[in-house]
Amino acid sequence: MFFEQLGGNLIQGVVLGAVYGMATMGLSLIFGVLKVVNVGHGAFIMVGAFVTLFLFSSLGISPIIAVPVAFMVGMGLGLIFYYTTIRKLIKAPELATLLATFSMGVLLEELVKLVFGSEFRGYNWEVGKIDLGITVLPMAKLYACAGSILIAVLLFLWFKKTRAGSAVRSVVEDSEGARVCGINVGGAYALSFSLGIGLTVASGVLLTMFIPVGINPYMGGGYTLKAFVIAVLGGLSSPYGAFFGGLVFGLIENGSYTLFAYIPGVEPFALTRFLSFVILLVILLIRPTGILSAK
Amino acid sequence: MKQLPKYLPLAPVFAAYVVMFLIAENMEGMWQLMSMLLFYCALGQAFNVFMGMTGYVDFGYVAFLGMGTYGMALSITRLVQYEFLGVWIIVIGFALAMVMSTLLSMAVGAVALRLRGAYFAIATIGVNEGFRFLIEGARIWNGSEGMIFTADLNTILGREAAAALCTYWADIMVLVIAALAASVTLFYMRTKVGYALTALREDEDAAKVMGINVTKFKIIAFITSASLAGLLGATAWALKTPYVFPPEVFEIHYTIEAIIIAMLGGAGTLLGPVVGGLVYGLSKYYLSIFLPGFQLLIFAPVILVIIVLFPEGIVGMLKARTKGTGVERFIV
Repeated sequence: MFFEQLGGNLIQGVVLGAVYGMATMGLSLIFGVLKVVNVGHGAFIMVGAFVTLFLFSSLGISPIIAVPVAFMVGMGLGLIFYYTTIRKLIKAPELATLLATFSMGVLLEELVKLVFGSEFRGYNWEVGKIDLGITVLPMAKLYACAGSILIAVLLFLWFKKTRAGSAVRSVVEDSEGARVCGINVGGAYALSFSLGIGLTVASGVLLTMFIPVGINPYMGGGYTLKAFVIAVLGGLSSPYGAFFGGLVFGLIENGSYTLFAYIPGVEPFALTRFLSFVILLVILLIRPTGILSAK
Repeated sequence: MKQLPKYLPLAPVFAAYVVMFLIAENMEGMWQLMSMLLFYCALGQAFNVFMGMTGYVDFGYVAFLGMGTYGMALSITRLVQYEFLGVWIIVIGFALAMVMSTLLSMAVGAVALRLRGAYFAIATIGVNEGFRFLIEGARIWNGSEGMIFTADLNTILGREAAAALCTYWADIMVLVIAALAASVTLFYMRTKVGYALTALREDEDAAKVMGINVTKFKIIAFITSASLAGLLGATAWALKTPYVFPPEVFEIHYTIEAIIIAMLGGAGTLLGPVVGGLVYGLSKYYLSIFLPGFQLLIFAPVILVIIVLFPEGIVGMLKARTKGTGVERFIV
C-alpha cells in the first residue's frame, strides 16, 4: 500500500519534475551568460500562465499553441527589460541587478493584477487521462512533460548547432576573448536574456497543467523559490543542470509529501515547501557549485 | 565639547522624528498617518544597517519582523497565567522578540553570510516563506490559525491600559526604535565597524587582503539589523494589532517596502531611510486615497528608474550637491 502510493507519487514527481526543470532553464541561462540573478523569475512564469488562461478562456485556443505564443511574449518582454535596464546595469554592483529584476517582477505582478484582478482562476483542458494502476495521469500533464523535454532538446541543439548558440557559448567561456574574435557580446547578452525570459514564460504555460485553479498574479513567488533550489541543485549556471535538477526536485517534493502525510498532526504540503528551503540552504552550505556538476 | 560634532548628523534625523511626534500629538487626525510614517522610517533604518552598509540584499528580511511579532505574542499568550509578572510580560516579550530574531539571523547568517553577492540573495529569498511553511506545516505556535491575544493583553494590563498601549505607547516605542536604529547606524559609521563595512562594500576581496575579517563585520551588521527588526515587529505588529497570522507577518511585501525606502532615500546613508520613509509613506498614503491599489504599480517602475539613473538615492544626490557647504556635515 505504502509503496504503491510512493511509487505513484514518484511517477507524478518525474512528470512534474521535467516541467520544473524546463521552468528553471531560463534562470540558469541568464545567470550563466550575464551573471544576473533573475529574482523576478516567478513573475515571468505567472505571465505565461495568464497567456494560457487568456488564450484558452477568451479565444478558445489550445494550450499547445499557447507555448510558442508565450515564448514570443517572453522574448519581447526580455528585449524590453534588457534594453531599458539590464544593459545599463551589467557593470554595476550585483545589488543593482538584483533589485532591478525584483522590481520587474513586482511591476509585472501589479500590471497583471490591474488587468485580470487578483482572484484565483483556472481553466480545464480535457484531453483524457491514462490509468497506470498505481496512479492516474491526466494526458495534459504528460503533454507538458513531453513539451518540456522537447524544448530542452531544442535548446541543446540550438547551443550546439547554430552560429548564435556558439557565439553565446563563447561569451560564457570568455567575454573579452569573444569580443576580440568579433563576436557581438552585447547582442549575445540581449539574445540570452530574452531567450531566458522566453523559456520562462513558455514554462508558465506548461505549469498551468498542474495547477487546475491556481492562476493568480502572485503565484510566482513560490516558483521563484523552487527555481532557485533547482538551479542551485544543477549548479546555477547550466541550463541542462537545471533540467536534471528539476527532475530530482520533483522526486524529492512528491516523495517527501508521501512521507510527511504519515506524520500525524502536520500539514504535509506546507512541510514540503519548508523542506525545499532547507535543501536550498544545505546545498549552498556544502556544495554551492551544485550536486549535479561534474567538477 | 570637541567630541560632540561627531554625532551631529543625528540632529536632523531626531528633529524629523520630534516634528512627526509633535504633529501627531497636536493635530487632529494625524496620529495614524504619523505612526505609519514612523513605522516606515524605522523599517528603512533597520533594513539599512545591513543592506545599505554592506551592499547585500536580504530578500527574506521580513522574517525577522515576523520572529519579533511571534516573540511578543508568545510571551503574552504563554505568560498571561503568571499574574505576578504584570507589565513585565511586555518587557519579557521585547527580550524574547530580540532573542528570537537574533537566533534566526544567526542561523540564516551562518549559511548565507559565507556566500557572496548573488548566492547570498538566493539563500535569503526563501527565509520568510520557509519559516511560514514550517510554522504552518509543523503546526508550531498554533500553526496557520495564528494567535489572537487582545483578551490576554486586557487581563495583563486592564482594559484601559491595554487600549492605551495599542493606540499610543506602541507608536511611541516605534519612535524609540527608529531613533535607536539611527543612533546605531551613526555609531557604526563612526567606528571601526563602519569603516570595515564600507571597505567590504566597495571591494570585498581587497578588504579581505587588507586583513579585515569581513565575515565578522557582516555578521555584526546582519544581527544588528535583524534584532532591530525583531523589536519593530514586536511593537508595530504585535502590540499595535494584538494578533499574529503566519501569512501576514511573513509577507514579502514588507521586504519590498524596506528596499524601496532604502533605495529611494539612499542606501548606506544615515538620513536616507528617514527621507525615503517619509517620501514613500506619504506617497503611499495619498495614493491609497486617490488611486487605491496602485501603490506598487507606481513604485516598481520608480525603483527601476532610481537604480538605473540615480543609484545614490535622494540623500546621495543631496550629499553631492552640498559638498563644500556648511550643510555638508549634517547630511551623512
